[in-house]
Amino acid sequence: MNSLYKCLIAAFLTSLTFTSYAQDLVNKIPADALAVATLKGKNLTELMSLTDFNKSFTGKKILSKLSKNADQPLTSIEDIGFNLTSSFYYYNQSNDSVTYNCFLAPVKNATQLDAFYNQSGQKFSVKGTMRSYYNSDSTEVAHWNNEMFLAVIGSGKKEYFSRPDVIERFGLTSAYPVGEAVSDSAATVVVDEDVVTDSVLVDSTMIDSTQEEDIIISDTSESNPFFKNEDQKKSIVAAWIQHMVEEFFAGTNKTSILNNNDFLKSQDAQAEATIWVSGVDKLFNTYMPAIPYLKGMSFFNGYGSGNAKFYLEDKSIKLTTSMTFSDEIASVFKRIHKRKLNKRFLKYVNEDRMIGYMGYALDTKAYLEEYPKLMSKMYGSIYAEEIGMAADLFSLLLDEEAIGKVVKGDAMFVFNGLMQNEVSYKSYDYNEENFETKEVMKTKKETLPDFLLMISSEDTRLIDKLIAYGVKKEAVKKHAGYYELSIPKSPLALYFTIKNQIMFFTTSITEIDAIAANSYAAKVSGKHKKTLLSSNYSAYFSGKKLAGKIPSEEFGGAKKLEKANRVLKSLGDIYMKSNPIKGNVLSGEVSMDIPANQPNALKYLFSLIEDATK
Amino acid sequence: MPSKFKYLLSIFILLCFSSCFQIIEEINLTKAGSGTVNLTLNLSASKTKVASVMLMDSIQGYKVPSKQTIQKELDEVVAYLKKSPGISNVQKKVDFENYVVSVSFAFKDIANINNVNQDVLKKLKIKGVSNSSYTYNPKIQTFCRSYQHTKDAVAQYNKLKPEVKKVFKDASYTSIYRFEQNIASSNNPLAKISKSKKAVMLNTGILGLINGKTDVSNNITLAK
Repeated sequence: MNSLYKCLIAAFLTSLTFTSYAQDLVNKIPADALAVATLKGKNLTELMSLTDFNKSFTGKKILSKLSKNADQPLTSIEDIGFNLTSSFYYYNQSNDSVTYNCFLAPVKNATQLDAFYNQSGQKFSVKGTMRSYYNSDSTEVAHWNNEMFLAVIGSGKKEYFSRPDVIERFGLTSAYPVGEAVSDSAATVVVDEDVVTDSVLVDSTMIDSTQEEDIIISDTSESNPFFKNEDQKKSIVAAWIQHMVEEFFAGTNKTSILNNNDFLKSQDAQAEATIWVSGVDKLFNTYMPAIPYLKGMSFFNGYGSGNAKFYLEDKSIKLTTSMTFSDEIASVFKRIHKRKLNKRFLKYVNEDRMIGYMGYALDTKAYLEEYPKLMSKMYGSIYAEEIGMAADLFSLLLDEEAIGKVVKGDAMFVFNGLMQNEVSYKSYDYNEENFETKEVMKTKKETLPDFLLMISSEDTRLIDKLIAYGVKKEAVKKHAGYYELSIPKSPLALYFTIKNQIMFFTTSITEIDAIAANSYAAKVSGKHKKTLLSSNYSAYFSGKKLAGKIPSEEFGGAKKLEKANRVLKSLGDIYMKSNPIKGNVLSGEVSMDIPANQPNALKYLFSLIEDATK
Repeated sequence: MPSKFKYLLSIFILLCFSSCFQIIEEINLTKAGSGTVNLTLNLSASKTKVASVMLMDSIQGYKVPSKQTIQKELDEVVAYLKKSPGISNVQKKVDFENYVVSVSFAFKDIANINNVNQDVLKKLKIKGVSNSSYTYNPKIQTFCRSYQHTKDAVAQYNKLKPEVKKVFKDASYTSIYRFEQNIASSNNPLAKISKSKKAVMLNTGILGLINGKTDVSNNITLAK
């Protein structure tokens, strides 16, 4: 009974998965894709109807761009022929010799898509239900039928084509032949039937008539051996693309990305768009040019898969990101992230005045102890000995614990706005009589930031000594309960004090007075409290609060200022926070509230774009 | 969306780099054709920014000269001027408190300045500012300031980073020519004649000179 129940649940869940992907092309994406980006047409069209989209400012812009080369302008985005209520995908597939950037879209009406291509002056061939478009060297192709559209841009890897065995196998010339005569036969594409590249089987039939024509054109047009070589490489890549596309449409590749658990876990039906990367390290190596002196170094060693999800919700626009790390790196993060933000910081925050903040909390001691290990991971095998010695020396010289007491590792920066101070400067006046010059002193207002920076410190003895030294050298002035750092020629005064194991730095005399006199009127809402205290990194910015506070002279004219203020006012509050590390996954979130009068986030986003271009 | 952030970003960039400066060129000419020149570069209006920039070794990829370097280069200019034919009484004033630099000297003939001008600009490594020269004809009592904009100035300007370009936005150039005789006419509409009728002043933005929109050439006829 129990097992029957389990089976039923399993069957139910499986059917659910299948139905949700029924109209979806995701199962066509190969399991070995390095990165997949998804744009969910269904979610987007639910937020904004296609009619609304076509009428919108952004919609009109997109339509006019799409119909740039067409005889008849597009009036609806639907007329292109894609099924806009289904999902669109981008994916990257790479191996040691070639990288493919693929765009996969669901087709609703292939005839409309044909018309779109025809109108744009792009020629394509038709074979049964399959339409094929090739660019001049066939490294950019698009194929579509009544169900789906696949565009592929392929590029060969330089490192692969520089390998002596590859050069020999394909009859290529070495990368930069100087004054070498290249026989005609070398410039002709010879792709043997039994030649096998490291990943793809290439046979002569792969090069169709379209490509052959193109190759002939390029051969006759360029007599330079360098270009001939490049053309030859491109035609090899073109043949691989053709093979890949044929396999794709034949459906011979059975293992789809849906077999990848990590990919499945990264998907969220609620997200409007997602990006999933199978391995940051792998993707970085794919795009990174082969620079000899970086060989052996691995900047993303220990970084696993990652994903980003974009949500357009009723009340906010949200971007979440997450990254999986190896056990080793994750344990480093766990140690470093143990520290939480000092609760006492909140006694010096008043959200009515505050325009934004940034808070971060790291364990300095743990960071200093783990830093050498991170370095040795990054520089990998080649400099292992040197890095090892440097790491030992680093630990020997530093007393991590003592430093960790002076600067515990948590700090908060509160941006309270802008203030204006008067400064004097020398100028010249001219008398009307004979334009004799006379030196005069004039004054002008300079805009300065108004901020408060708080840093936790357990051991302030060193700082106390530094202050005493500063006072002695007259660089620091002592006031009642606080100090002033004099900055020559600057209208900016910096006040600081140490209190309750917190170092305070501020540009505002009112703030420091209140801090010194224990009379600071704090006001922090639960939302800010939670964001600040539960995250290792957090930030907040309110454009609305900044609007109207920027002096016009700082913005070069009233018109520009008005526009800036309008933009700032239309922005919702922006929040950024990191989540505590869960397992080996570190995640974070950036979100922006949307104004109450906006129907939904997508419509709001469109209105923002329209506003900014006004 | 990105353009929104462009505005936020520009607020901070403006706060960091907006500044202005003033160039004043004064020439006092006697009837015989000799006279004195006083050139002033005034950065005082942006002294807080200059002071903070001077604390740095380089900014936005540009090397910041030290006080010593500025002094040394000025000393070289003075030494060169002293050696130049027809030039005497060379003096320099440097005010690091307000960031004002001025150089003054006397000349026997206005033609002496023309030779000096190009060489000093070359020494200060200022390329392609303008093709500028002065002529004075005592017989027909005319003073001519000829000026021709060079495309090189725009090219040099365009090479600058946008933040640095902003420095030139509010920068101004003032030229004052004083004579012993009365001025009969001055053909540059931007120029103003003083009450005494013995001086001409032209005040304009540097940007107009760089992009060639402003012409500072002037033909001044003096009363006989």
